[in-house]
Amino acid sequence: MMHGWRGDLLAVGRGAAPFALILIAWALVTRANVLPAMFLPPPADVARTGWDMLKDGSLWTNIGASVGRVLVSLVISVPLAVGLGIFVGLRRRLSPVFEPIAGFFNSLSGIAWLPLAVTWFGLGWVSVIFIMFNTIFFLVFYNTLVGVRSVPRIFEHAVRTLGGSRRHIIFQVLIPGAMPNIVTGIRMSIGFGWRALIAAEMIATSTGLGFLIYNASNFHQTDTILVGIVTIGILWLLTDRLVLQPIERWTVERWGLVSSSR
Amino acid sequence: MERHWEIVSTWVLILAATIAAWSLGAATLPVPDYFLPPPSAVLSAFVELIAKGMLPIFVAESLRRIVLAALLGLFVGVPIGLLLGVSRVTADFAYPVLNFFQSVSGIAWLPLMLIWFGFGERTILVAVNYTVLFPVIFNALLGIRSVPQIYVNALRTLGASRWRIVRDVLLPGALPNIAMGVRLGLAYGWRALIAAEMLVGANGLGFMIFNAQTFHLTARIMLGMGIIGALWVVLDYFLLRPLEEATIARWGMVQR
Repeated sequence: MMHGWRGDLLAVGRGAAPFALILIAWALVTRANVLPAMFLPPPADVARTGWDMLKDGSLWTNIGASVGRVLVSLVISVPLAVGLGIFVGLRRRLSPVFEPIAGFFNSLSGIAWLPLAVTWFGLGWVSVIFIMFNTIFFLVFYNTLVGVRSVPRIFEHAVRTLGGSRRHIIFQVLIPGAMPNIVTGIRMSIGFGWRALIAAEMIATSTGLGFLIYNASNFHQTDTILVGIVTIGILWLLTDRLVLQPIERWTVERWGLVSSSR
Repeated sequence: MERHWEIVSTWVLILAATIAAWSLGAATLPVPDYFLPPPSAVLSAFVELIAKGMLPIFVAESLRRIVLAALLGLFVGVPIGLLLGVSRVTADFAYPVLNFFQSVSGIAWLPLMLIWFGFGERTILVAVNYTVLFPVIFNALLGIRSVPQIYVNALRTLGASRWRIVRDVLLPGALPNIAMGVRLGLAYGWRALIAAEMLVGANGLGFMIFNAQTFHLTARIMLGMGIIGALWVVLDYFLLRPLEEATIARWGMVQR
């Protein structure tokens, strides 16, 4: 293993090389004039459009709206879902009843809520947050519930025979045991949430990256669409690298459990 | 067995209570009818759409598209992922690109596809197949690369050929990831399909509920949502999850 800045540089280079190749191929295709520029503008045009949008602040506004919506929905849904998931998971009579119900709403997550959201809340922030809430809440709730239920009873018995109280069992056995599932749930909810957000923004609002690219499509501004797509991709990679991977690593290290890929 | 009945009877109770509260709310709340139609309206929307023959067509259209995407994922996506994964060089090269493309959902490409392919069937199919294909390829590649090198070395020292290693080590080792990729890809794909049908507006369940919104046919929206959820439950519980659990159990990749 190579370490230090040379290793880092090599890794970055290796990661960037395929994208450089795609960029070159893209430039060559547009140079060959086989496609009208409306179909595929040259990369230089897209870069210029992106730069202009960064300078006049319009790209930042839309990034802010999208990221803001994701954050607001996460802050509202995740604590509620984890709390309720643990609450229901602890009740052995309730949890098998609620698991399939949560499973059903999970399978409904995302964009299918849009028509109802628009009927109830009109176009705007509230509709988008409502869609995001339903997507995130049920995924995290379901995974928390399953996580609490899948902690082996033997651990609970062990703590109880050692004189542990109910509080000990909840905070030192069940919640830590459910943690990998909870984290998986949050991770999945961000993935599904982002996708639902982009689709919802196309229809239900007039801000955000989803709206940006959909609106550009109406005016055949292909360069703006490509700027939006690349921005969405970069934002996701950043979320994954800076938020999701550290959280997952932390839970795996802390509880010594391999994250099951669910 | 007794517990089983307890669960079922609790469900019936919850369902009855929900329907009662919903009916009561629809009858007494001071909101327009389209805001909260009673459960009976959803039922009559169901009967009406069946009688008119629209519902079977919409369901069939949506199912046809997702099944097509599933087949393409299985028979094109998985082999591509495996081929890319077998060689270290191609895997290193493809990994960042696949990661980027699988993270940009098909729905984000939809505006571009609308320009390229117009408002029609082709755009829906490209968006859905894109959404399914990339997670499948990515996870197949990841599966191959996550097989511990020590197994490969063990077989190699015993004189196994390259083909033996692929067949007996890499492929079985990658199966849990492949199953997971197919399940995740289809889950994303199903949602992308609903969204694409809304935006392109031709037919299918997504179109049905979106179109119903413009005419304030809220009972029809609720009916459509119920069907979309139920179809996915059937697909996931009876097809995808057993597949995933079978591969995980078969190759003992989970320590529980």
